[in-house]
Formats: sequence, C-alpha cells, structure tokens
Amino acid sequence: MHLAVYVLRRLAYMLVALFGVSLVAFVVTRLLPGNPAYMIVGEMADESTVIAVTERLGLNLPIHEQYFRYIQQLASGDLGDSWRTRNPVTTDIGSRWPATIELGSAALILALAWSVPLGIVSALRRHSISDRLANALSGFGVSIPEFFLGMILLLVFFATLEWAPPALGRTLGDVPPHTTGLYTVDAVLAGDWEAFKAAAVQMILPAVTLAVTVGAPMVRVTRGFMRETMASHHIRSARALGVPERSIVLRHALPNVLLPVSTMGAIMYGYLLGGTVLVEFVFARPGIGKYAIDSISESDFAPVLAAVLLSALSYLVVYLVMDILHFVIDPRTRT
Amino acid sequence: MTGRPASPATEAPPLLDIENLTVGFHTGTEDASMPLQGVNLRVPHASRMSLVGESGSGKSLTASAVIGMLPEGAEILRGSIRLGGEDLIGAPKRRLRDLRGRQIAIMFQNPRASLNPVLTVGGQIAEVIRTHSDAGRRESHRRAVDLLDQMGVPDARRRAGDYVHQYSGGMAQRAALAMALSCQPDLLIADEPTTGLDATLQQQVLELVVEQVSDRGASLLLITHDIAIARQTCERTAVMYAGRVMESGPTASVTSSPANPYTTALLRAFATVDEGRMYAIPGTVPTLFGPLAECPFASRCPEAGDVCRDGVPELRAIEDREVACVKA
Repeated sequence: MHLAVYVLRRLAYMLVALFGVSLVAFVVTRLLPGNPAYMIVGEMADESTVIAVTERLGLNLPIHEQYFRYIQQLASGDLGDSWRTRNPVTTDIGSRWPATIELGSAALILALAWSVPLGIVSALRRHSISDRLANALSGFGVSIPEFFLGMILLLVFFATLEWAPPALGRTLGDVPPHTTGLYTVDAVLAGDWEAFKAAAVQMILPAVTLAVTVGAPMVRVTRGFMRETMASHHIRSARALGVPERSIVLRHALPNVLLPVSTMGAIMYGYLLGGTVLVEFVFARPGIGKYAIDSISESDFAPVLAAVLLSALSYLVVYLVMDILHFVIDPRTRT
Repeated sequence: MTGRPASPATEAPPLLDIENLTVGFHTGTEDASMPLQGVNLRVPHASRMSLVGESGSGKSLTASAVIGMLPEGAEILRGSIRLGGEDLIGAPKRRLRDLRGRQIAIMFQNPRASLNPVLTVGGQIAEVIRTHSDAGRRESHRRAVDLLDQMGVPDARRRAGDYVHQYSGGMAQRAALAMALSCQPDLLIADEPTTGLDATLQQQVLELVVEQVSDRGASLLLITHDIAIARQTCERTAVMYAGRVMESGPTASVTSSPANPYTTALLRAFATVDEGRMYAIPGTVPTLFGPLAECPFASRCPEAGDVCRDGVPELRAIEDREVACVKA
C-alpha cells in the first residue's frame, strides 16, 4: 500500500475517533451535578442573574443542541472560555501544554535510555547481575506510585542533600523568549545557557520520577521480546552459519525487538503527553494535567473537555507517527 | 562403550567421524537425562548419508552437537566429533563459529521461520558470504543473486531484495539452501528439509539438494523420519533409536534386508501404512535417564533373549554394514 494513502486513511480514522471522544466527554461533563452558572456569579447572586448567565452559556438548551454548538465552535478552532481563569481555553493550553510536552519528552527519553538497553542486556545474559538489576528496578518502578517516588526524590535531593532546587514551577531563572514554549528548547535557540540550566534543573527530578515508572514496564517488555527473538528459528539458523554474535544481536535480533518496544514507547508517550497529574502536583509544574484537575473541581467544562480531547489527540498522533515509522521499518506492513 | 568396528581398508578416512557421542542434560543428579547414548556415525567425503529414526531418537540432537550448538543445559559427556580429522569438541568457540557456514552448514525444517523477517533474503545470504570471505558488499550481493539463481529461484536479482514473507515455502527452502551452500561447505546437514512442503515440492527440493551437494563435491547428512526420502536421496543410511545408531550401511541393503530387528520393525511400520493398515511397534521407547544397561530395543524386540540384556550391543561390521545387535 502507498504510504500517502495509508496516512490519509489513518487521518480519517483519527477524526472519527476524536469525534467519539468529544461526544462521550461532553455528555459526561454535562451530566455532572452542579450548575456552573453559580460558580461564575457567586453564591450571593440573585435568581435572575443566575438565569441570565445560564442562558448566555446555553446551558438551558437541550444537551444535543449544546453539543452541536460545541462542535461548531471546535470546527472554528475555538475551545471555549474558562470561567475559572477567565481566559480562552486555547490561551490557557498554549501556556500549559508546552510544560507537559517538555516534561513528557524528557521523561520518555530518559525512560528509553535506561529501560531498552537494560532489557536487552538482561535478556542476553540470564541470571546475570544485569538480569537481577533489571528485575529489581522494574519491580520497584512498577510498584511505586509516581507521587510517592517524587516525594522521596524531593526529600533526598532537595531537603537532605540540597542538590536539587525547590520544586517551584518550570524555572527559577529567566523565562527565555517564546518560540516553541518549551523553556529548555527556547533557551538553546536563544543561546541563553543560564536560562537553559535554570529550566533543565527544574525538570530533572520530575523527569526521573516519570522515567522510573514509565521505564519499568518497558524493561520487562524489552527483555521478554528479546528473549523470544533470540530463541527464534532465524537466529538459530544465522548462528548455525557462523554469523558473528555482534551481528546476531544488533542486526538480526534488535530490529525484531524494536518494533514491539517502540509501540510500547508510543503508548507511554501518549500517556505522558496527556498530562501526569500527580507528578505535576508534587513538583508544582503548571502542566495540562494540573489544569484539567483544577478545572474539574470547579465545574469548568471547557478546559476539561479540551484536556480530554488533547489527551486523545496526543495518543492518536503518537500512534500515527509510530505506525508510519513501522511502515518504514517493517517490510511485512508494506505488502 | 568405546569399541567400534575397524573401517575396511579400502575406505578413505571419513569427512565426519562421530565416535561414542554421549550427551546428557545436567540436572545435578546421577540419573540425568541422556538423550544420546554413544552415537557412532561416519560420513565419508562426497557422499550422502541419511540419519533415520523416530522423533526423540536423537537425530537432531546429534546434528546440534556436530555444529556445536547444543540446547541450553545439554552437555557432551563422552565421545568425539571429528571433521576432516579436526576434533570439534575441544575446539574453541571462535574456531567452531568459523567452521559453521564455511565447512559445515545446516538447514532446518520450516525454511520460512529460519529466515529473518526484517532482512532481505539476498542480504542474509550476502552476510554469510561476507562472514567467511573477504568479499565486499557489492561482491557478496552479486554472489547471493547467483546462488539464488542456481537454486532455481526465478528472477533472482529482484527476488534477492524481497523479504521472506514474500516467498512461498518452496522458494524459501531454495533460499535457505542457497544460504547454507553459500560458502562451499564440505558437509551439509539437512534437518527434515522437506517437512511441511507438499509432495511435488518435496520431490523438487530433494532433487535440488542432491544435485547441488553432488555438484559441489560436498557431503550430505540428511535427517529424516521418512525412509522413503532416505531411499530416494542417500546411498548410505544410519538408523537411530533411543540415542544410538542401531544399524548403518548402504541404503538399499539396510532397507531391503535389515539386519537389526529394530530396522525390521521400523520398515514394517512404514510398509503397512501403504497397505492401509497401521503397524505400530509394541511397547514404548525407553526413557533415557542415566546410561543404558541393555539393548534399548530389548523390551520391544520379538527376537530378544537373555543375552540382549547383558549389556548394550556395540556396532559391529557384518558384511556390507554395521549392526548393533548381538543376534545379528
């Protein structure tokens, strides 16, 4: 199949999926008890003010009409307004999502960097020290809650050793000029190393926290697929014809393992991009997860819907990129 | 269990000489599983030998021992394997890896599974060539295409760039043969090479294997459970049972006038399938824990007597063959 046709078809599926997500999310938020109008006007407002606000927001309309209006709004690129922050949701997200993307990407890179090599090495040497290390670390990472690990890291590296800065947002230095919204990237683009350091230092502990919990299952998956591949017939055949072990591992086995492992990585990245509420809370990072939770507790519908859609979109986009990548790597998908 | 019949003076020293090969799985106890119980097998230069036997008789394990790739936990307890006079059991790993592909090549059953799904077929053959020669990338690919062409893969230049999922079973087996023969090995071990292919393809592949091996002056060790295939492809046949060679000699005489009662029973089991009735050898294959104390076939043999239980019969030369039976 031609790549362009494939991508177009996938984009069409993506629209359908987003449509479905928006419908479910919309209905769920509208079914929540509580009239947001009260939140806006305050408890002391009189009846007529409440009614006026309710009508202005369209909350008196039947739910399908409300949804229809919302979709029309979406189609024009408007995600609505937050009555909590009094900003258009697009503005709020524009300032918060980069924080999530920055942290999620850093966490994914760290997670891949430790989990995939460890998984591969431990698969090659069963019962070795690296295999035991893989067991211990992945067991630890799978079982410890993110927020708890974050707190321990803060306790050790900030409170006790005083190596890490206090967990106060994205940077304690200057905010670099806005290009991408990712402070570290913007700082590099501006050539401002002080700003880069200030932003990077704030990211280390939360990124490590996420890298441990996200990397842990990846160690197991990588090790499992590597073991399976190394035991396969084609590896035995190649060995039986004298192909050197280095090539067996890197050329013959690795591509077969990276296919499923990259899928797993994509799932993890999708999760990270949707916002990691607890870690954002512990490290006081203004990301999309924290935004969504704050909004939910105040019946602020538009940001909640936007966060849900954004989360779904991140998954879908990451999967699409992954599948395109597989299309390129895996000859079996091409025919 | 060290005795063996003297080779007839006329015979040249064999290419492959397996003597008293005993393989066990180390479990830490005295009664460890011992699937090979002193295998004796010789494959002369430029000859074709088939190794026939039921599942579990130790055929494939013998092949694994020859290429130095026993499964995890298995260990050679006794015996020797010599290739062209060189002892393989004591050889360093590096030397063994160098021999594999260059002097001994093996092709397994299920060719589609034995080729890597994410590498091109031609690329895999070329890599084996580069491993064992000074050929560069371009030269090795050219040779890979030539080999595929010689094995009867149509449009070899284009097909070399294809992946195994684009190959049919028969074509994949041709590609596997091309890969195995790519470095002119002296010995090709073919482990059930036609299992899973339909009858016509089976015939074609076997003819190709015989033709290619003979053209190269190499020897073939064909592992099969099918006596008909042995008859058709190999001038010599060795019959294995319970980790031992029971009888070996010219295929024609072994399969027409067997000297070991086990061979007789195996042939009967084959022959009666054709007549529409099944003949099953009574009893079961002995479990091989610890060394054998008697003829492994004694409990199932119609001709067994007390003498059969006095020890494990060694292979001895009788007329044109070697037989491990005291009654023969």
